Amino acid sequence: MSNFRALQSSNKRKTFFLLIAFAFLMWAVAFAAVSYFGGSGAAVVPIAVGFSLLTTWWSYYSSDKLVIRMTGAQVLQESDNPKLFGLVQEVCLASGLPMPKVAVVVDDAPNAFATGRNPEHALIAFTTGILDVMDRDELQGVVAHEMAHVANRDTLVSAVAATTAGAIAIVSDMLIRMMWFGGRRDNNSNANPITVVISLVVMLMAPIAAILLKAAISRKRESLADATAVDFTRNPTGLRKALEILARDSTVVQQRSNAVAHIWIESPLDGKAVSKLFATHPPIEERIATLRKLEGNL
Amino acid sequence: MELWIALGAVALLIVFLVSQYNKLIRLNVAVDEAWAQIEVQLKRRSDLIPNLVETVKGYASHESATFEKVVQARAAATSATAVPDVAAADGMLTQALRGLLAVAENYPDLKASANFLSLQEELATTENKVSFARQFYNDNVRALNVAIKTVPSSFFVGFAKVSEREFYEVDDPQDRNAPKVQF
Repeated sequence: MSNFRALQSSNKRKTFFLLIAFAFLMWAVAFAAVSYFGGSGAAVVPIAVGFSLLTTWWSYYSSDKLVIRMTGAQVLQESDNPKLFGLVQEVCLASGLPMPKVAVVVDDAPNAFATGRNPEHALIAFTTGILDVMDRDELQGVVAHEMAHVANRDTLVSAVAATTAGAIAIVSDMLIRMMWFGGRRDNNSNANPITVVISLVVMLMAPIAAILLKAAISRKRESLADATAVDFTRNPTGLRKALEILARDSTVVQQRSNAVAHIWIESPLDGKAVSKLFATHPPIEERIATLRKLEGNL
Repeated sequence: MELWIALGAVALLIVFLVSQYNKLIRLNVAVDEAWAQIEVQLKRRSDLIPNLVETVKGYASHESATFEKVVQARAAATSATAVPDVAAADGMLTQALRGLLAVAENYPDLKASANFLSLQEELATTENKVSFARQFYNDNVRALNVAIKTVPSSFFVGFAKVSEREFYEVDDPQDRNAPKVQF
């Protein structure tokens, strides 16, 4: 991977393929439902998609307000922290993005996140810990990473992933219940037994596959945000040093809710507890190594 | 039937022509906006200077040569208008300010004063903003110039009345790289 532009397009391409894989998974589940239950199985799919869309669309649309409530972030005025505002304004100039809302979370663990349905409603937040421990260049790297999430519309991407994963979970849950209580349609008994077995396997495995795909998309978006941050600042060293501080630091954000884990710059969940496949972030050492390579050829 | 096909083809052609024309206009406006941002940031920096010079003078009144340089560079930067002139004046002012802050290093009382510290942070962020605005401007100029030179948008250059724009180039090798300020 030669430079940040190549990294950006590679990560965008991979996200695209993962989203295609998601669509394919959805299709496989619908196919399994129909081949196992016939017409009544097909009816489940639109219901599930509709329900999932409704719930995630609302949380996507009000993400800035929702996340403020869930994390206890306090929105700042420029006079509260002129230095931090200066840093954010710098990155806005570098990226051409509008000024986001800036917030702090009172927490000793160094971390940061970005949210909001579009750049006009963006919110970026920092823990008091990260503001204390990092110097100007490092903080600039973190700000650029968060603004990169805003520029790449990662709230939308993760909302799409969450909607699909949610719909798949609902479908397979409903179908498994139908299996227990209703059984298969009688007039379908001449169906190929192999098809029946495959359908069953798909229904049972789909929710796990969906969770894995969602995590893979999240990881790609993190790598993309690192590359885009370098595009903004042309200074991989700042972000690399910042990640090194995060890697060294063992304190963890107080709220360890799974619901908001994916939005922080460093995963607040314990690294050992989640396997690499389920992780929402690429291993921090890998991100540091990638940035080191970028320092070599900017 | 043939009439509908012909009409469809004409409609597609019009959509294509309009989109190419709009693309050039959009890129040109983006360059103007990016340039305006540079001017805003240069103005901000220029406004900071009298205050900074006064503060340093309070502690190091006999360094008049350094002050003179800064004041001259500021005057030159204020009067420049064309892209290369503004860029050259900007580079000179950056150098002069570095000299001023190097002088400040020799005065521990000055370095410790709250007023100087807040000015220093403000100057650091403004200096970064100038170079980020410059980088954003150059990215936009690059996009416009590429569109002007490449097919098919190059066919619409005369029609859209746009022309290639100048890059904002700074001679200082330290400035070319990442906008990093070490005062």
